[in-house]
Amino acid sequence: MTSQPAALPSEPDSSMQEYYQLQEELLKVTLILTGVVFVSVWIFYSLNVALNYLLGACTGVVYLRMLARNVAQLGRERKKLGSARLALIIGVIIAASRLDQLQIMPIFLGFLTFKAAVIFYMLRTTILPSSD
Amino acid sequence: MNPTVAAASVLAAALAVGLGAIGPGIGQGNAAGQAVEGIARQPEAEGKIRGTLLLSLAFMEALTIYGLVVALVLLFANPFA
Repeated sequence: MTSQPAALPSEPDSSMQEYYQLQEELLKVTLILTGVVFVSVWIFYSLNVALNYLLGACTGVVYLRMLARNVAQLGRERKKLGSARLALIIGVIIAASRLDQLQIMPIFLGFLTFKAAVIFYMLRTTILPSSD
Repeated sequence: MNPTVAAASVLAAALAVGLGAIGPGIGQGNAAGQAVEGIARQPEAEGKIRGTLLLSLAFMEALTIYGLVVALVLLFANPFA
């Protein structure tokens, strides 16, 4: 049996700087990947598909920010992880299925851009552990 | 839409979300609980623990999202309709 963890202090201290740096880096890599893929899709497919991808990527960025905020609040203001961020992707996919201008696959793949950024970060810290 | 296809699609959507959420739900609960316990034990490592938790949750929650997207496509943009 494990004992209940004690309540954490509500004021963030210096050890949280590493977490905020990780957040910023993930956001930066996601935005760079989004820009590269957006231009590539625009060149090789069409502007319409590229804009769909951009919508998905923006949704992914907002989703990542909401997840990061939830994790930062865990144990301070909140005692459990919320699931409100899933409503974001539900709303976008339903809108894509209802509107003729939107397509599901580019939006979904755009949403997964933040995951590519996470994988990139994991690979970078695994291959170059001294630079994290 | 054919009633059989409609019924099968609704059932498949329910199974995709329901079964797809079990594993990530258990995993997220375990990870978050252990992370908070770890922070309570070692407050000086809070940033590192929360960063690892964020990366883990980003991977875990994607599994729920896959099931969710499959269910939404079956319900709102059914390719078999």
